[in-house]
Amino acid sequence: MIQYNFTEEQKILIDLIKQIGEEYIKPYALEWDEKEIYDEKPIRALADADLFGIIIPEDYGGLGWGSFEMCLAVEKLSYYCGGVSTTYAASFLGSYPILLFGNKEQKEKYLPDIAKGKKLCAFALTEPQAGSDAFAIKTTAKKEGEFYILNGMKQWITNGGIADIYIVIAVTDPSKGARGASAFIVEKNDPGFSVGKKEKKLGLRASVTTELFFNDCKIPKNRLLAREGMGFIVALRTLDFGRCGAGAQALGIAQAAMEVSLKHATSRIQFGQPIYNFQAVNHTFADMAVKIEAARALIYNVAKFIDSGAKEISGASSIAKCFATDIAMWVTERAIQMMGGFGYMRDYPVQKYFRDAKCLQIYEGTNEIQRNIIARELIKYYK
Amino acid sequence: MFERINIENLSKGNILAFGEFYRNELNNSSLEILSPLKEVAQALNKKLILLFLIGSLEDIKNLEEIKKSLADEVWFVVNNELKDLKDDLYTEVLAQIVKSSQPYGLFFPATKIGMSLAPRVAGALKVGLCAHVNYLEVKDNQIIMSRPTYGENIIAKLVSKSSPVMATISLGAFNIKYGEREPLMKEIIFPENFSWSSKLKIRNFIPSKKKLTKLSTAKIVVSGGRGLKNKETFQKLFELAEVLGAEVGATRPVCYEGWVEEERMIGVSGVTVKPKIYIGFGISGALQHTVGMENSEFIIAVNTDKDAPLVKMANLALIGDARKILELLLKKLKN
Amino acid sequence: MEKLIVCIKGVPEPGSVKVDPETHALKRESMELILNPNDRSALEMAVRLKNDYNIELVVISMGPPNVIPLLKHAYALGVDQMVLLSDRAFAGSDTLATSYVLAETIKKLSPFSLVLMGLKSIDGETAQVPPETASLLGIPSLTNVKSLFMEDNKWIAIRETEYGEEEVEVEGPLVCSVSPTAFEYIRPPSLKRLLEVKNKETIVWQAGDLNLDSQRLGLSGSPTQVVEVIEKKIETKGIILEGEPEELVEKLIEVLKEKALIKN
Repeated sequence: MIQYNFTEEQKILIDLIKQIGEEYIKPYALEWDEKEIYDEKPIRALADADLFGIIIPEDYGGLGWGSFEMCLAVEKLSYYCGGVSTTYAASFLGSYPILLFGNKEQKEKYLPDIAKGKKLCAFALTEPQAGSDAFAIKTTAKKEGEFYILNGMKQWITNGGIADIYIVIAVTDPSKGARGASAFIVEKNDPGFSVGKKEKKLGLRASVTTELFFNDCKIPKNRLLAREGMGFIVALRTLDFGRCGAGAQALGIAQAAMEVSLKHATSRIQFGQPIYNFQAVNHTFADMAVKIEAARALIYNVAKFIDSGAKEISGASSIAKCFATDIAMWVTERAIQMMGGFGYMRDYPVQKYFRDAKCLQIYEGTNEIQRNIIARELIKYYK
Repeated sequence: MFERINIENLSKGNILAFGEFYRNELNNSSLEILSPLKEVAQALNKKLILLFLIGSLEDIKNLEEIKKSLADEVWFVVNNELKDLKDDLYTEVLAQIVKSSQPYGLFFPATKIGMSLAPRVAGALKVGLCAHVNYLEVKDNQIIMSRPTYGENIIAKLVSKSSPVMATISLGAFNIKYGEREPLMKEIIFPENFSWSSKLKIRNFIPSKKKLTKLSTAKIVVSGGRGLKNKETFQKLFELAEVLGAEVGATRPVCYEGWVEEERMIGVSGVTVKPKIYIGFGISGALQHTVGMENSEFIIAVNTDKDAPLVKMANLALIGDARKILELLLKKLKN
Repeated sequence: MEKLIVCIKGVPEPGSVKVDPETHALKRESMELILNPNDRSALEMAVRLKNDYNIELVVISMGPPNVIPLLKHAYALGVDQMVLLSDRAFAGSDTLATSYVLAETIKKLSPFSLVLMGLKSIDGETAQVPPETASLLGIPSLTNVKSLFMEDNKWIAIRETEYGEEEVEVEGPLVCSVSPTAFEYIRPPSLKRLLEVKNKETIVWQAGDLNLDSQRLGLSGSPTQVVEVIEKKIETKGIILEGEPEELVEKLIEVLKEKALIKN
């Protein structure tokens, strides 16, 4: 309901995403979800449309735009399918480390292909014993002459197997604790690198999540990002930038859920009238609208804040991610309820939105961890 | 084998029908189109000529069929270069025949080959060409050609102001009828200096893996439209077809959506069917489609819309969700 | 290799057709025109060939100015140059008149190595323009082409017929109409090019720019003419049944048994 003044370029972007959503995603999304299929066609379409280059600088073949446009693209894409937008957004997450910390050679080597969508990225931090407690990672990277040898495994990595570029956070010096990890660029064909089975998920089933295995995985030393010991800084800074994307996904999914259930509520006749006439129903929709518009305003503002070059963005991005993903869960649950029995049937998309939204409260830092971050930042501001 | 006649000596002012031979097989549509053309020829007091371009006389396998046809005469142009379909050469040959024998009309079946050649010939002669004609009549000594058009419930009647009158004739729109007399068979001799060269060379041929659908001759047709909602549901028609011994047909929109191959499209630019029983699931009945099945003996329509054209023209209409009804029907039939 | 040319057509959104009551021709100027769906395959093939062989690609469309967004869309897909053929004199053209205009335009754009078009449009559905245009140009044509590449300076095409697929070798420039099922994947427009296109000029040619013979244009250049238009009125013919799906299916099975399609 709240109109935003998009620039001509932003309008073209939104329109293009809608075209892609209508043609390459909408007719198939429910089937992909039902059969848990990853289809590379929508990803190919996004690549051909130059949409993987939104945040890549023009020098490397990208559009040189910022978080705001990235969020717009992710939001509008998520409206059509959270699974596809996860593949898309996770690739941005995996490209941020190179964008923010890569040296000239690394940027020249990887960013052009990333911008063209020729190579997808993945961000690999989580391990079986290290989820929220990211510092508990055990994958090691030992320097041997001109190489690093990686050993260990990563768990629940989005785009595992379909990405060509993996940003892997591994321990280089266990004695240094939080300063003992480093970030590496691992390529799909590196010796000793392999991908585990595809996980069976509750939602986001069109996206691929796998384990990654490093068995004496040998990579040249120029794959190190920044310096040894910077691993967690790279990871956390990357997540700072990525959080808005997760929030944008929540916006798109919540919007779709509201629209579908609203259409139902205005046409479903019970007791001689559309159920929307009943206060219990229309107030629920009012609450949905309030929450979605609030989340949108928050995400857009935080994205612009990030684009303005702000240095401290952790608190802001956490607030945006936390709020947007929480309201998406609320909205999608209510959307099922507003559709009654129809909402429960897998022939209808609203149950898919519900299952897709759930993951957003968990990945890229659970919303509990987000609250940790917000609480920590809060006292920095209000001493 | 046949009377040999020089091209300059061909009789003039006839109705010519292009006969399609592909790899020595006669395409039946060539005989189908003779039915309406014979009536036109008789109304105009002209001869009906069936025309074939072939590689060699030994290649003709269906001579008996041709002898039973409605044509008054059958003309053969024989040259090794004509063995393969070379659009440019075929066009030159047909143009030459038109120049020499100045036919009143030249007609093609609306097969892929016919649709490929007729326009070339029309362009070469700079004359008009009507496409997918499914009805021909003669009024005031003029040929009037009908076809449904523009997605509305409109039938357009066309004439061609140029000569020869040219049209491609819809597949399956007419039945093959047999003639009372065997046609005169003639082999046309082209001038010495006629160039048989072509810029095309057929290097390889891979026969179609799918069987040609027997849709146009099917006795029972089960057909699906957009009311079936998606490809998966549409495919269930094949299960139904197997139980009933039917062929599956489709509307134009669902062919474009890729739910089924275009060969199964029933309608003005597809196949015409005349089954004993036609069942349409989720088909509203746009004119483009109904002209392809309106002559079915018994029509059953399944649709949510009481006012849909197909519902109105049906002998029995079931008002309900086509998808649900199809699925329920299959469930019950399989028990 | 010489330039590639692709021809596209703007067609009315299905269901929004307006027919001029006098001439019985489509009123194109007033309508929302979309890209003829089959032309998407032609554009996809054109862009793939442009990229494979690094050649210039020109798009032509004959129609009123409201066709320009479609040309821009073609640019966003990868076309280099946009040409609009627009003149009141073209209105009411049948396929012969249309092919004449296209052929003269293609001659003006010569030299070229290939002309691509969609198989047929969803409004006229004649599929005539590609071979007719080729014939007027005096060059070969192939319809229903599924794939196309260059070998030793000759085009090698795979075309579909009812009987199967043929591999055809062609000398010299030719016109191909592309099979709508040629590609599993057809690309979307490129964002970069969408942003660029507002600074790109569309060349607009009228009859005068092409030195056209006015007798061969529009209604006067169209030998095929509509003489009568009949609306098909459909009266309700049979029995209409309403009810729950179970009841309807029971009735259907009864009828199928009656007609001996299924055994009792």
